[in-house]
Amino acid sequence: MKKLISLGLLLVWTALQHARATDWKMDPTGSRLEFAATFEKTPAPGVFKEFDVRLRFDPQKASDSRLDVGIRVSSADMGSADINKAIAGIDWFDFSQHRQSEFHATDIRHLQTTPQFSRYIARGTLELKGVQQTVEVPFSWSATGDGANMDGEFTVKRGAFGIGTGEWAATDVIGPDVTVKFHVRLRKAP
Amino acid sequence: MRLNLLSVKSARRDYRLSAVLVRAACRLKEPNSDSSWGAPAKFLHWLVAILIFIQFALGWLAVGWRLLPMKLNLFVWHKSTGMLILLLVLVRLLWRLVNLTPVIPLDTPAWERGAARLSHGLLYILMIAMPLAGWIVQSASGVPFRIFWRIPLPAIVSPDRDMAELAAVVHFSLGLVFAALLVLHVGAALRHHFVKRNTILTRMLPTRRSPK
Repeated sequence: MKKLISLGLLLVWTALQHARATDWKMDPTGSRLEFAATFEKTPAPGVFKEFDVRLRFDPQKASDSRLDVGIRVSSADMGSADINKAIAGIDWFDFSQHRQSEFHATDIRHLQTTPQFSRYIARGTLELKGVQQTVEVPFSWSATGDGANMDGEFTVKRGAFGIGTGEWAATDVIGPDVTVKFHVRLRKAP
Repeated sequence: MRLNLLSVKSARRDYRLSAVLVRAACRLKEPNSDSSWGAPAKFLHWLVAILIFIQFALGWLAVGWRLLPMKLNLFVWHKSTGMLILLLVLVRLLWRLVNLTPVIPLDTPAWERGAARLSHGLLYILMIAMPLAGWIVQSASGVPFRIFWRIPLPAIVSPDRDMAELAAVVHFSLGLVFAALLVLHVGAALRHHFVKRNTILTRMLPTRRSPK
């Protein structure tokens, strides 16, 4: 009887192992997380230098997935010493209080497949400056020799997260929309 | 009926306005003479003069303003006006080069001729050097900018904090020299008019042409 139970457990465990989607880890070199605001009706691009992506994902069975992203907000660089100093302030990202931003999604759905890549959408929660909002992140998935590439772009309203408070909440000087663009190189986690 | 009257009135006004504009446009071809500046030289002189005074005010306000949206707007106005002045000054120089320059009164002592040539030369140099130094500050600071919120201005140096600070000091110092020179320029013009009683000032003043 004991043997039977252990055999059963072993079978279940193997089955679970088999069904479990692949775990992926980000390769920091070759991965980029960019954003673009508008400053006096002029594009103002920036980049988060430090971030990490962890993913459990099977391209054939997206429903079983989990996407976890951590962003070191204080690694933001907008290519200008003046602007970098300003965005650290309490009206903007408020680095001293909110150094980290996170995005977690367990709802990933397949949209379409083309010969080059497949498109998915991850619906999850973005926490930024202490505010949680539901955000939909579309991405394309393309397998490479030893891993995969994830590419996508989406737009968030900075006001929803209190990025730019007080007089900066007005959107004529600093626009309301921030476009986020990412290219993530992933490798199968050992 | 009332609408008709209004439209007749506005049509008349339009006609009058266009007549004024056509007359002004005709005078724009008027070159300088030996004794006086022509309409284009006068127009450019006073337009640039007004813009320079606005420019000093905008620069002063923008630097002093607290970091609020208004500060960014003041800087866009200041930078845009600077680029406009640079363009107008280049047109002015070109017009001056292809044109006569009215002669200085014959009884003017040599030192005054020298001082006039030197100060006018310096004014032209500053009118070009100031916007160029500002352009370097703009490029080195890496702050996004479009002239009057529309025309992208190409960067002439790459973003560099030290360069931006150095160019800002140069820009400010040139501004002080410029302000001192303007006081001298205006003072000299008033002296010519009220003390020496010659035509140096009046020949740069706009004239209303009597209808033929």
